Amino acid sequence: MQDALAEFYTAYASGSAVAVAHFLNPISPPQNPGRLYDFWRTTNEVRVGGDVQYALESRLRRHMSPNEINAWVDVISAYWRGVDKIVKAEQAENQGKLAERQAIDVYDAWKDLTSTFIKYISNGALPHWAVFTLYFTANHLRKFALKADEQMAKAKPVTFSSGFQDDIVSTTPRNEKLEEAARVFNRIFALCLGDRNPELMSSRKWGVYCIANLQFKTYFKLKTISLSKNVVKSIAAQSDLPQFHLYPASHRVTYMYYVGVISFLQEDYTMAEASLTEAWNSCYAYSSKNQELIMSYLIPCRLITEHKIPSAQLLNQFPHLRSLFGDLMDSIKKGDLSGFDKALTEGEPEFVKRRIFLTLERSRDIALRNLFRKVFLSAGYEDLKEGQTENDRIRKSRIPISHFAAALRMSTAGTGSSQVVDDDEVECLLANMIYKGHMKGYISRDHGMVVLNKKGAFPKTGV
Amino acid sequence: MSGATQAPTKSTDDKSKTVDAENSENKKAAVAPLEEDDEFEDFPVEDWTEEESQIPGGTTHLWEESWDDDDTSEDFAVQLREELKKLGNSK
Repeated sequence: MQDALAEFYTAYASGSAVAVAHFLNPISPPQNPGRLYDFWRTTNEVRVGGDVQYALESRLRRHMSPNEINAWVDVISAYWRGVDKIVKAEQAENQGKLAERQAIDVYDAWKDLTSTFIKYISNGALPHWAVFTLYFTANHLRKFALKADEQMAKAKPVTFSSGFQDDIVSTTPRNEKLEEAARVFNRIFALCLGDRNPELMSSRKWGVYCIANLQFKTYFKLKTISLSKNVVKSIAAQSDLPQFHLYPASHRVTYMYYVGVISFLQEDYTMAEASLTEAWNSCYAYSSKNQELIMSYLIPCRLITEHKIPSAQLLNQFPHLRSLFGDLMDSIKKGDLSGFDKALTEGEPEFVKRRIFLTLERSRDIALRNLFRKVFLSAGYEDLKEGQTENDRIRKSRIPISHFAAALRMSTAGTGSSQVVDDDEVECLLANMIYKGHMKGYISRDHGMVVLNKKGAFPKTGV
Repeated sequence: MSGATQAPTKSTDDKSKTVDAENSENKKAAVAPLEEDDEFEDFPVEDWTEEESQIPGGTTHLWEESWDDDDTSEDFAVQLREELKKLGNSK
């Protein structure tokens, strides 16, 4: 047993929460695939408590208070019981006998470990940094809960009731364990946020953001995103947290991503843009999936706030983003409305799943603006008057409505969206463009003309 | 002779087909990870420096800034001008 605990002693002596979390890892590291099994074999269910206690006491009696030794004995024993279930589940899987029970057993054992941790952190028996070790343990609990739910759903095929409420019947039991885990995370969050320890260096408040991130991930999975807002609110209401930039980058970036997405879903695009941009700027350069996730919201966001599309350079660097947005952005750039409609329809299932469909739909305005802008450009310049040079030339600013109508008909003539556009509708679209500030000018109905500003007819587009 | 001229056309056909197939496969493969949910991944490290958050050979321009207004030869622009010319003449 002492040998098996050697890693723990080293980790503990280093005072590193991550190192202790490594010791309590439910997955064997790739360089030592037998680690869990070896640890498991050092004791058995009956002896584990006594074995760990004897080992820790004989080794740490002079360095640790009896309370703390007691706490670690319980934590490590609980970890061994978790490993016990994991090893048994693996054995069952190898024999092809993996049943519903195994994943639940693993989850339950791991939940015991998490609860044991919570107990000793809240009564102060464990050092303050143990809260980060708890974070890793809790993150594993989240994954085990997902697995347990998945396996339960498989074991109990959804039975549709004959009534109209079939969907309710089928979804309620499916996330049982994850919902339970969510309640555990709430407890940890409260434990961190409510720490009254005035000494900031040893405060559990350092755990606030990483636990909040766990809650976000869980609520998004449970499709109860609105609960995430409560987390954001309670953090915002807590005035005595350490300064945000002092937290580890992984906590900050993940938190900013979720705050950004939550704001995005509330259609607070200004806030979303600020948070997502911050997440993007600080994101770990080698985590490209996370970068893509940030951009998958930041791109629709920028379309609304700045009417900007991503550069070809950006899309080329992230092939997934290109396959997601490429066609749509090309169409917007070209002012190609039927292309836009086609790309939007084709991408709809994916866009809906990513909750960006409605926002992207609104960007049709930008495509339309770009189309109208082309009409303006193709009208060319006023003739030069005497004494004027090339530099003085100005674009023709009076453009017949019929020209815009013609362009609109051409742009929507393609397959799929060949609606008939009548002139009143064109006028309405033009009025909308002016109202929304995409165009500057007015419509002269008597002359059937749009009179555009001589300067900045299409704001922020260079003309 | 005719056989000789046919042969290359056939091979280019085949080639374009395989390219197409490859493209569609690429597309599928590229889309696959996006099929997953939008859960933010755990970072491999807890903390990092500002330098480590810069993409090597980074993207300086994230957003399209330029307007290719000079590109008046673009198909649509040409068509549009033709169309508008007709309208202008008929008035």
